[in-house]
Amino acid sequence: MIGVSSVGLVIGLVCGGLALALGIYLKQLRPGITGFIVCTIAGFGCSIIGGLIALFVMAAVIISHAYVDRQDPFTSRAKLEEVDFSETTAQSTMRRLANFGNTVRVSWGALVRNKAGFIGFLGVTFFLAMSAFGPLFIEYEGSAQFSRRVDGARSLFQAPSAEFPLGLDWQGRSVLSHVVYGGRILIVTSIQAGLAATAVAVLFGSLAALMGGWVDGILSALANFILTIPQFPLLLVLASVIQFTDPIQMALLFGFLNWPTLMRAVRAQVLSLRERDYVEAAFALDLGLWHIISREVFPNMVSYIAVNLIFTVRTALYGLVALVVLGIVPLQEPDWGVMIFMGRSQGALFSQEAIWMMLGPILAIALFQLSLVLFSRSLEEVFNPRLRSGL
Amino acid sequence: MMPNTTSTTPLIELRGVHRQFEVDGVVLPVLQDINLSVNPNEIICLVGESGCGKTTTGKIIAGLLGQSSGEVLVGGKPREQYTGPERSVLRRQLQIVHQDPFASLNPAHTIGDILSFPLKRHKLVKDRADLRRRIWELLTLVDLTPPGDIVNKYPHQLSGGQRQRVSIARALTVQPKLIVADEAVSMVDVSIRVSILKTLHRLKDELGLAIVFITHDLALAKYFAWEGRIGVMYLGRMVEIGPTPDMILNPQHPYTRALMAAVPEADPDITRRKKHIELRSDEIPRLSEIPHGCAFHPRCPQFLGGKCDVIVPPLLPVPGVTQTVACVNLTPATVGD
Ligand SMILES: Nc1ncnc2c1ncn2[C@@H]1O[C@H](COP(=O)(O)OP(=O)(O)OP(=O)(O)O)[C@@H](O)[C@H]1O
Ligand SMILES: [Mg+2]
Repeated sequence: MIGVSSVGLVIGLVCGGLALALGIYLKQLRPGITGFIVCTIAGFGCSIIGGLIALFVMAAVIISHAYVDRQDPFTSRAKLEEVDFSETTAQSTMRRLANFGNTVRVSWGALVRNKAGFIGFLGVTFFLAMSAFGPLFIEYEGSAQFSRRVDGARSLFQAPSAEFPLGLDWQGRSVLSHVVYGGRILIVTSIQAGLAATAVAVLFGSLAALMGGWVDGILSALANFILTIPQFPLLLVLASVIQFTDPIQMALLFGFLNWPTLMRAVRAQVLSLRERDYVEAAFALDLGLWHIISREVFPNMVSYIAVNLIFTVRTALYGLVALVVLGIVPLQEPDWGVMIFMGRSQGALFSQEAIWMMLGPILAIALFQLSLVLFSRSLEEVFNPRLRSGL
Repeated sequence: MMPNTTSTTPLIELRGVHRQFEVDGVVLPVLQDINLSVNPNEIICLVGESGCGKTTTGKIIAGLLGQSSGEVLVGGKPREQYTGPERSVLRRQLQIVHQDPFASLNPAHTIGDILSFPLKRHKLVKDRADLRRRIWELLTLVDLTPPGDIVNKYPHQLSGGQRQRVSIARALTVQPKLIVADEAVSMVDVSIRVSILKTLHRLKDELGLAIVFITHDLALAKYFAWEGRIGVMYLGRMVEIGPTPDMILNPQHPYTRALMAAVPEADPDITRRKKHIELRSDEIPRLSEIPHGCAFHPRCPQFLGGKCDVIVPPLLPVPGVTQTVACVNLTPATVGD
């Protein structure tokens, strides 16, 4: 999901070029250049998925800039007879894209306005960028570096210095290189676990709340059952069945363990939303169940779901690290958890020079978690139309 | 029941409708034996104290709530007998406008979107231009002008009164025959109320709508439904119903009389001259322990022991007046249960 490649760079440049071309075509040079940069980075870091998503969003933003002063006859103050209501499909598509772009811009404004949230956003971006682009600048040190031993020292441990900003570990390798490389699988796996748990939770939660009856009974019972299983003993048992070294299996495992909490939250939220007057009005207008779920209930839960998604990502990350630190899963370098485990077993708890080896990954985990928490605080303002306009 | 004065079939007719809710194992009889018919292009006001079942009646009329027993006839046919597309059409004929302007519109959509959903879903417009023209017309119809200032706004950018107008416009998208307005103006500023009521009145005349107007404010009912009827409810039963002028000037049921006596008049002299009617108690009994016989007897100034607390009074015509009333002291004696 993240990681640089030359193909990614080409994809990024193509997407960025398209954004720039659109900007020039619509005489919106500055948004065009911003689009070029964003799309290139996204394509480079996350390949085709990142590139296309960025291109879509940035294209909408560029179009919305171009549409600022264009008066839709529909919104004029003229009389009914004077208004031209016709609109071609192309015009309508452009108008919708412009509206979406406008929403993106206002949401971005809301994100920037919320200081704590924006710091969190920068933090999350930093860790993602570090994992994606760090390898471009920092080489991974896999094997022991005996030549770095200082004369008279008892071990290879070293405190931070200009050459090694985070110090050296017990094999004389740069802690920085392990911090940069050690989060990649961890972060991607926890995000995947979060997405899996959220998808299941939203599906089951809405079904349980809207259908009620035995569907609700079975799904709620299942969720409660999983919640009552103590997680770590279960993981110990599963360690013999599941390949804990395969990131996808780990993501699914943590997704499985984490959906029940979120499912109960979603169920409660849907139950409360479906009592709203506008949902009742939608029933009276006979708009259909699918419309009610997707257009009346869901849009009002987006921020709630996003906040819970981040919460699940955090839980999964802690869980993944804990499994390694407790020594339940096979150690695979590079990994923040392995760094903590090795640091401890190499005497970091008792020796002062060894402390640096543990401090690096602990700080990385703590700061990433903190960024996620701060970021999730601003999501309500980003997704709620009332809050994001800042009025 | 009073015979229908007109030959038209009522839009909707409730016959002996009961509705109960079970809360923590206790069965609450929220509505009991409601008989009510609404004719096309008619205004009916339902009034009564909080909790007497006005909203429940409105929701049953709008088809949002089923009855526990009794019959609901729509266009002369029991509601349950409609199926398929016919049922959808029927459903759309009966719309509701809610009380709370802050909860009645989805905060996630613009006004244009809110109005376009039903229009598109039921294919009530030909193409995009038609859709936009229709939205424009609807907004103009409910006096939200110029429409261009409104269509792209979110509900939170409008005032309470404007939102209620959007609610009305949304109900009108599906060309209903009846609108239940459940305290539709009680949460907007007093200054705006009258103008929204005027709009509703104009819509009734222009579109031939019937309106079931639910309120606890008798002064409002008097103003709004002067040409229609007022039905007074008490603890889940209709106690008196009749043409508005007679209900106001010549109320029959002791409860209606007490209510009318408490309505303030614009002229302070009239207010002062009004005779205040003393009730025997100000407490409204709870639904879980409705008094035997006439539910109003513990508060009734004309209480007759051995009669009022035994017989459940049916709604019957009173000789010499136009109302039907549920009071054994006014209507010819019948055998109660
Ligand atoms: N879904 C429900 N479950 C349980 N009780 C209900 C339900 N809906 C209504 N009730 C009860 O029914 C009674 C009548 O409610 P209703 O909303 O019809 O009253 P109302 O006349 O509209 O009152 P108000 O003037 O306060 O709006 C109330 O006591 C209420 O608590
Ligand atoms: Mg009510």
